Amino acid sequence: MNKRFMMSSFLILSAMTVAACADPEPENAVTGTNEQGDEETPVTTEETENSVSLAWNSQPPTLDPHVTNTNVVRDLARPIFEQLVTFDVSYEPIPMLADSFEENEDGSEITFYLREGVLFHNDEEMTADDVVASMEKWQSGGAPAAAMGDSTWEEIDEYTVKLHVDEPSISVMYTLADVTQAAAIMPKEIIDSAGSTGVEQYIGTGPFQVEDWVYDSYIQFSKFDDYQSLDGEPNGLGGKKEALVDDLFVYFVADDSTRTNGIITGEYDYAFQLPQDSYDQLEGADGIVNDVWPFGFQTLVFNKEGIFGDQSLRSAVNYGLNNEDLLALAFTDETFYEMEPAYMRPEQTSWYTQAGEEHYDVYDLEQAEQLLDEAGYSGEEITILTSEDYSYHYNSAIITQQALEDFGMNATLDATDWATLLERRDQKEGWDIFFTQFTTVATPLSYPFLHSENEYAGWTNNEEIDRHLDGIRYADSQDEATELFEDLQQIIWEDLPVINVGMVNFISSYSDDIDGYSEFMGPIFWNMSIEE
Amino acid sequence: MKAYILKRILSVIPVLLVVAVVVFFIIHLTPGDPAAVILGPEATQQDVEQLRENLGLNLPIYEQFVTWFFNVLRGDLGWSIYMNKPVLNAFFDQLGPTFSLAILSQAIAILIAIPMGIIAASRRGTYLDRLVMSFSLFGVSVPNFLLALLLVLIFAVHFSLLPVAGYQPLSAGVFEHVRYLILPAIALGAIQAALISRVTRSSMLEVLHSNYVKTAVAKGAKESVVVIKHALKNAFIPILTVIGQTFGQLIAGAVVIETVFNIPGIGQLIINAITRRDFEVVQGSILLIATFYVVINLVVDLMYGLIDPRVRLNRK
Repeated sequence: MNKRFMMSSFLILSAMTVAACADPEPENAVTGTNEQGDEETPVTTEETENSVSLAWNSQPPTLDPHVTNTNVVRDLARPIFEQLVTFDVSYEPIPMLADSFEENEDGSEITFYLREGVLFHNDEEMTADDVVASMEKWQSGGAPAAAMGDSTWEEIDEYTVKLHVDEPSISVMYTLADVTQAAAIMPKEIIDSAGSTGVEQYIGTGPFQVEDWVYDSYIQFSKFDDYQSLDGEPNGLGGKKEALVDDLFVYFVADDSTRTNGIITGEYDYAFQLPQDSYDQLEGADGIVNDVWPFGFQTLVFNKEGIFGDQSLRSAVNYGLNNEDLLALAFTDETFYEMEPAYMRPEQTSWYTQAGEEHYDVYDLEQAEQLLDEAGYSGEEITILTSEDYSYHYNSAIITQQALEDFGMNATLDATDWATLLERRDQKEGWDIFFTQFTTVATPLSYPFLHSENEYAGWTNNEEIDRHLDGIRYADSQDEATELFEDLQQIIWEDLPVINVGMVNFISSYSDDIDGYSEFMGPIFWNMSIEE
Repeated sequence: MKAYILKRILSVIPVLLVVAVVVFFIIHLTPGDPAAVILGPEATQQDVEQLRENLGLNLPIYEQFVTWFFNVLRGDLGWSIYMNKPVLNAFFDQLGPTFSLAILSQAIAILIAIPMGIIAASRRGTYLDRLVMSFSLFGVSVPNFLLALLLVLIFAVHFSLLPVAGYQPLSAGVFEHVRYLILPAIALGAIQAALISRVTRSSMLEVLHSNYVKTAVAKGAKESVVVIKHALKNAFIPILTVIGQTFGQLIAGAVVIETVFNIPGIGQLIINAITRRDFEVVQGSILLIATFYVVINLVVDLMYGLIDPRVRLNRK
């Protein structure tokens, strides 16, 4: 009995040890987690001298940009996929996979002439049927569906497609070039096998291809040797694109201090979105370059289906909030915020306006109290929904709670995790204010919180705002659209469906051995090399 | 003995049943929608509803439970909507790093704690005893995430001796494997070392005062023989118990340590699954960990008989 028992125990312990020593990577390769689905492709997990290790703060739910508007997908799908058109450095659409495009007089038809000889990562040539299939999938849901309506795509010949625009608009080309929920071109057979959460193989035409994705660990992108680059200089997200490193290893490192320590000690070559309160530590570190990049604007969203349906109360909050204090405390250093009332960035010359600036940063407690009285506020509880998952949102909420109490509002915090917040904010009851950030977008039509059709949390049901947005969408010229947006920004500042607290920046750091790194609406890893 | 083992195995069933029910309802009744997480913060309600429908998340909760439960009985723990693969595969893909970490932590804890406990007991009341107990108190008191950050600061950031974070599988070489795991293993094993050393000390003290030890000493046996051969063997059952129990705790503790050191193990899997509300991954992983926990306890129970024949005789 003793011997049998000892033998059994020995076997159990041996099995445990073998399990412990199991290498998860080879197992993944065998079971086919190689996202290319090509079991003959060797899965390389070792970094070479010409590979770059990147520490990312979160893992994407998918790499299919058609499905989701999350920033992590926007940034990590970018090296793999390309669009018919993309943005130049002035945020204007320029051809990418299209060789050229032309619009008919009333803008109801746009013909795209495709570049010939562009290969997908599976070595098949991109042709019109791939483009039509991709665009139809892309515009079947989310913001693209709202923007494109019942527009249809037609294959004219192998290298020509025609877009029949449902309702001609100056926004169409911007929507096609948008980086969020990007109109990526993929092979038709991949599109045909896609499920409700997107495609299962990530095959595009970009300078890098997906080599491996070990969940909760890393994604490996490798250089696509047959990439067909455009000639000329790099220009925004267009122009010349070259993969100058062999591999990009994107490690998912959720912990802020681990990413920070990792870049300082050289464990990683690049660390994305580091905590702003580590700025001094990063500035003092040797061998790294700190890149402060514009993200978007910090936004206080009101629930207009609750007590803040009353514009006077929204205005009271606007008067009661000291924007600069809030930004300074939430973002720790003036490097990371800009006092700016505009909803579009100054570089976006077609849209940038200061309209409504007289309503921005108007800290006046007496005025706030007076507005409360006028609105007949009698101590109803104001619930600020927030999440500790993002320190700047949480700190913004704490400061706002204090500010509201200072002028007589009965404010409480309701802190949850981010996933809970996303669900609860979609319910019309149970909250009054939450904080979020909106990234830089190509046209104001892309902001989800404005048009009532979007039914975005907070429910901005303002006919005048809707009318102006429709006017911009169907404007005959950019000048007309620009003028309408100036009026619209004024209306937004008067009606206050949200409060734009100010523009905010984030920090990423990279090794000073890296040359040619740039940022434009997200990080860019092509045209980037490592010093020998 | 066979009847005893069978009885113990059967007693595991209600435990796992309760775990399955509780975990399912806790995660499903917690607000948070996987569809909203997948689609992103700017998604409209209409899109979220559509994806919920496609993923079967709109079904009544009891219906979802019954489907999941009967699948579990058939050995199917579900499907990760986020990773797009079976939960069982997701779990076992990430089991290796956690096991490596747990085994190394346990080895460090045992190697440090048992000699420390023996020294403290055999030198009771001396400065050595007080020193060992102070270390033990430190180990129990310091949260492992704090110890982890301190270790990183000292050995990785300041002295650049070890990596800040990450994981290298055994295929990268034993040295690399251990180099990446040593700091997390110390951070994770500190509390275990403290607990084991305290139990070793008290258990040894009890035995060292027994008549047969006094007899051995009186007969002129060497101190080392008395302590190791006579005392430690008889004091080992409580030590083994705490080793078994703490091994289960190591898996739970790994949740935090794996996050700090960015180790792609079970802890990371569960934390990420909770964050993104990948329900079936949370349910399946916790059920598997609970199973593992009760199996460890069962094995420890059965090993009592090997170490102390009196236990086996009592059972008969």
